[in-house]
Amino acid sequence: MNDSPPFSSGSAPSAPRRLWRSLEELQDAPDLQAWLDAEFPNIARAGSMDRRSWLRLVGASLALAGLPACSGEGAVGDPPLLSPPEHLPGHVPGTPLFVATSLELAGLGRGVLVKTQEGRPFKIEGNPLHPASLGATDVWAQAEVLSLYDPDRSRTPLQQGAERTWEDAERLLATMRTELAFGRGKGWRFLLPQTASPTLDRLVAAMRQGFPEARWHRPAPLAPSGAQAGAISAFGRAVDLVPDLTQADLVLTLGGDIFLFEPGHIRLAADWQARRRNREKPLPRLVAVESTPSLAGARADQRIPLRPRLVEGFAHALWAGLAQNAVPAEAHPAVATLLAELRRAGPRAVVLAGREQPAAVHALALAINAHLGAFGTTVHAIEPVVAPTPPEEDLPALAEAITAGEVSGLVILGANPAYDAPADLDFGRLVRRVPLSVHLGFGRDETAAASTWHLPKCHPLESFGDLRAFDGIVGFRQPACVRLVPSLSPEELLANLLGQAPDGRELLAATWAEQWGADFDIRFTRALEDGVVEGSAAPRIPVALRPDWSPAPRPPLPPAELDILFSLDPSLWDGSYANNAWLQELPKPLTKQVWGNAALIAPETAAARGLSTGDLIEVIAGERRVAAPVWLLPGHAPDTVTLPLGYGRESAGAVGWRVGFDAYLLRTAADPWITSGTLTPLGSQVELISTQHHHALPGHAVFRIVSADRPDAGGPPAKLPSLYPEWRYEGHAWGMSIDLDACIGCNACVIACQAENNVMVVGPEEVARGREMHWLRIDRYHGGAPENPDTFFQPVLCMHCEKAPCEVVCPVNATVHSAEGLNDMVYNRCVGTRTCSNNCPYKVRRFNFFDYSSAELAPPDDALNPHVTIRERGVMEKCTYCIQRIWTARTQANVENRPIRDGEIVTACQQACPTQAFRFGDVNDENSAVSRLKREPRDYAMLGELNTQPRTTYLARIAPTGENGG
Amino acid sequence: MRADATRRRRAPGERRHKKVTQVFSAAADTRFRVVLVLLALTGLGAGVAGFAWSRSDSFWNVGVPAPQPIPFRHDLHSGSLKIDCRYCHWSVEKAADAGMPSAQTCMSCHSQLWAGASVLEPLRSSLALGQPVVWTSVHRLPAHAYFHHAAHVTAGVACETCHGRVDQMPRTVKAETMSMGWCLDCHRDPLPRLRPTDDVFAFDWRPEPASPAAASAEAHILPVEQLISCNTCHR
Repeated sequence: MNDSPPFSSGSAPSAPRRLWRSLEELQDAPDLQAWLDAEFPNIARAGSMDRRSWLRLVGASLALAGLPACSGEGAVGDPPLLSPPEHLPGHVPGTPLFVATSLELAGLGRGVLVKTQEGRPFKIEGNPLHPASLGATDVWAQAEVLSLYDPDRSRTPLQQGAERTWEDAERLLATMRTELAFGRGKGWRFLLPQTASPTLDRLVAAMRQGFPEARWHRPAPLAPSGAQAGAISAFGRAVDLVPDLTQADLVLTLGGDIFLFEPGHIRLAADWQARRRNREKPLPRLVAVESTPSLAGARADQRIPLRPRLVEGFAHALWAGLAQNAVPAEAHPAVATLLAELRRAGPRAVVLAGREQPAAVHALALAINAHLGAFGTTVHAIEPVVAPTPPEEDLPALAEAITAGEVSGLVILGANPAYDAPADLDFGRLVRRVPLSVHLGFGRDETAAASTWHLPKCHPLESFGDLRAFDGIVGFRQPACVRLVPSLSPEELLANLLGQAPDGRELLAATWAEQWGADFDIRFTRALEDGVVEGSAAPRIPVALRPDWSPAPRPPLPPAELDILFSLDPSLWDGSYANNAWLQELPKPLTKQVWGNAALIAPETAAARGLSTGDLIEVIAGERRVAAPVWLLPGHAPDTVTLPLGYGRESAGAVGWRVGFDAYLLRTAADPWITSGTLTPLGSQVELISTQHHHALPGHAVFRIVSADRPDAGGPPAKLPSLYPEWRYEGHAWGMSIDLDACIGCNACVIACQAENNVMVVGPEEVARGREMHWLRIDRYHGGAPENPDTFFQPVLCMHCEKAPCEVVCPVNATVHSAEGLNDMVYNRCVGTRTCSNNCPYKVRRFNFFDYSSAELAPPDDALNPHVTIRERGVMEKCTYCIQRIWTARTQANVENRPIRDGEIVTACQQACPTQAFRFGDVNDENSAVSRLKREPRDYAMLGELNTQPRTTYLARIAPTGENGG
Repeated sequence: MRADATRRRRAPGERRHKKVTQVFSAAADTRFRVVLVLLALTGLGAGVAGFAWSRSDSFWNVGVPAPQPIPFRHDLHSGSLKIDCRYCHWSVEKAADAGMPSAQTCMSCHSQLWAGASVLEPLRSSLALGQPVVWTSVHRLPAHAYFHHAAHVTAGVACETCHGRVDQMPRTVKAETMSMGWCLDCHRDPLPRLRPTDDVFAFDWRPEPASPAAASAEAHILPVEQLISCNTCHR
């Protein structure tokens, strides 16, 4: 953005860095400037209108304005009053009930607490007792509640696409039982993705024993397969790593994203920030070597973009320097300084390789850790939580068997191989060749369409089970509501085939009754209450580098024109969340793209090929090709293209149907993550929807960076005289502090806010007009050269200004100042003039241009938070500081006749945040946590020079330290 | 063309210009003004009547009973038998909802008394089927308003203050409008309407003349500015 005189003279201590949001902004593109200068960008793009259509619409809306008065609702007698539930003694209807359970991501568990009311879940929080959560969540856990109510979920069994009753399905299962028993399972194949579930493992073992001729295939499509192979190569045995970043002085990541995609990512982010907050030690350093920009890279003190094929050479040079003291001459220039840092940190350093890296890189990382003595301090080795898949149990073996005609029956439990299996297997076609294929799935997905039978699978929030977390701790899964549709869990289906009662609770109990014996009842109840099984963490095992280990010879420099890297998607994960509208509309952390994906390439690579963002290209790998739009992503490694997985679903449901392109079409069994290819421009363009310029703020001092040794952000500006009324607060005065040094940009707060406050989804067309409704957005800024820029994240929500510009301009007094300094929004007074939004310097007010709450994409009523009003068309809305949570805490305190405790009120964003970037509390109380934070020298008010005196202030980001920092 | 051809020919000697007759009488102006004034008065009257009606009890269904599955009598249970409110509305001191009795609660007496009465059939089937009795709500708040029973009861707002003399009601009806203006009357000046929390469930309570401030000292009340903030009732 251009320097705009009123704002650039902000009270920042020194001349602020120039930060930019996009390459267009860096180059001052004229059409972007027009968008930013437009007074009402969100209506300017709605299309021009002539006088006649305007009159017609005005007339129609006047005529329709009378219609709402015709509804026949009386004050008497609508909703019934019900007597209390019999099975929950002491529970009061109308108050939320929390259920501790575990949710799965790539086979591993994260502990969550499900908030339910009147038997329906409506919000998910982290489980503070669970080591993979520590009370925080990620976007996928938050969005699980919407998936539960997915209108496109499978409701009835299907046979060849025709609906069948459950009686038919029961007959099918009876036939299967007979056939399995008759041939001891001969000809049968079972496909169940690797899951760290003791109960499932027990049932699978029972099946293997009962039907010894049947073959099991347990692929782990997203497992860091290189990690296990690397460990076997370096240590002679497979291990899983549990990093302890609270002990680390130096963290070096080789690919991957420890804050978003790696196992235990929530915990890793929490530990990293806890280490940064530890003032007794100097600030730690995070160095990220990566091909595609990640959240870890954005947060890193030093980021080294490298083509995927060069990462191994980099790691090898580090190893050679450490172990043999001989750095290869052609090594990357950063190796020398990094070596010095690693040697200095010694056992307090840790090297973590990403899940997409080959075994050689993992082996080198393990060897470096072992050499530095990191095992035992910054990283621990445990037995693999998910055992590695032997080759005969992987998907290619199954494909071979089907091709050879050895498979007469195939049971697919919860997987969707027709979509996400390696493309060279062409799994959808293979499934169709099996005489009897039975698919258990949550949606009528691609595999359901290919199978002869499809059975509805129940949602994780509807069934019993257990799951190990990344560190081996077991968490129980238990239902938070009754089954919304008749369905089966994989455990129950297996029990059915074994001839046991398909009772999820009994199956879970049977697993643990064996281990616990006499203590069973107490321990089982406690595990269900806590969500974790006490003392179930995997023991640490000692590891030592094999004396005969030597790194594989360095690979030659890449001969290929282009490296292709497949990555998980920060919104849709692997595509299983494709029908989740919250996640589809979630701006991705770095590109801010919504409702679609794009092939990510470096700006210089694009310039060399004459490409710009939105150009369609064809990516070709071998004989496979896929058409995709490109996105120029600053900081991406050159001559590399990143293809995010999870889009282009053919049978995801109404929301996810054919959104984006399907990168699985290029992914083969041999090269699941990194491959080589070429790209050709197709000459056409598509419009990609991104929110990165929406709600742009002027000036450069909105995001402030301070140095670690002089952390002075300028503080809140001196109070200027104001024409607005003075307020006095005798009781509480709520305020918030947001730590920009802690924010990793993971978006958990955005979805948490959406779920908590019934924020509606508007759809791609509306987002393109700048009408997304998120109350909390994360602004992403870059600084420096686009080849390797610094990246900064800034959550922006209503600042609850003391001198709020919105309040004085509302003609109907619909936005008013509360006695505790909140900027209240009164929906039933609002007439929709949007003057407040126009006068808001922070651009945090959102307008309901349409009746989004009853539109197609709106969640069903059951998924909505009953404690928050649903806004209708023509009404302005914005962050309320979670007023419903303030009142819940206040009423509880009043009923108990005590003051509200500091920290008792936790906003939804604060609760979801893995790094505790948000802190909410009473600024009238000098000793409250938020007051203490606001007294820190890093505290500053965004656009404070406007004398809005915001209640939300920021703690400035601390500039990177150490070599090459900054 | 056609219009010209069919036009009637003027007869010879017919007068070319007829004298224009007077359409409006001399009083028309006055009549018109009277009508204008009447129209304005009608509009105004309709407005006043509508305003008055919107504030009247009938607009808010005050005193109108709702159809109930069982003809439950508060006057009998609460008035004559003096059963405490909290025996049935068990969560009124704990939660937003006052709570409705389960069939078991009713049956603790009615398994003995009136055990075979036909009016209690819904109760017996509720118990047998494990289905709740579906009572019809009488005191339903307008949309957008959030209300918390416990917050009021623990602060010293009596049941009677909002629900009236329930102990004299054969059929449960609304005693107050439950409009926003009515809520605000109390929120603007709560102290005179509060009681010591011990007397919250009593009917026909009179303050002791000696210590009018006793109730306020005992109750934990929010400052008035907070009580009249929008977010107190609207989220």
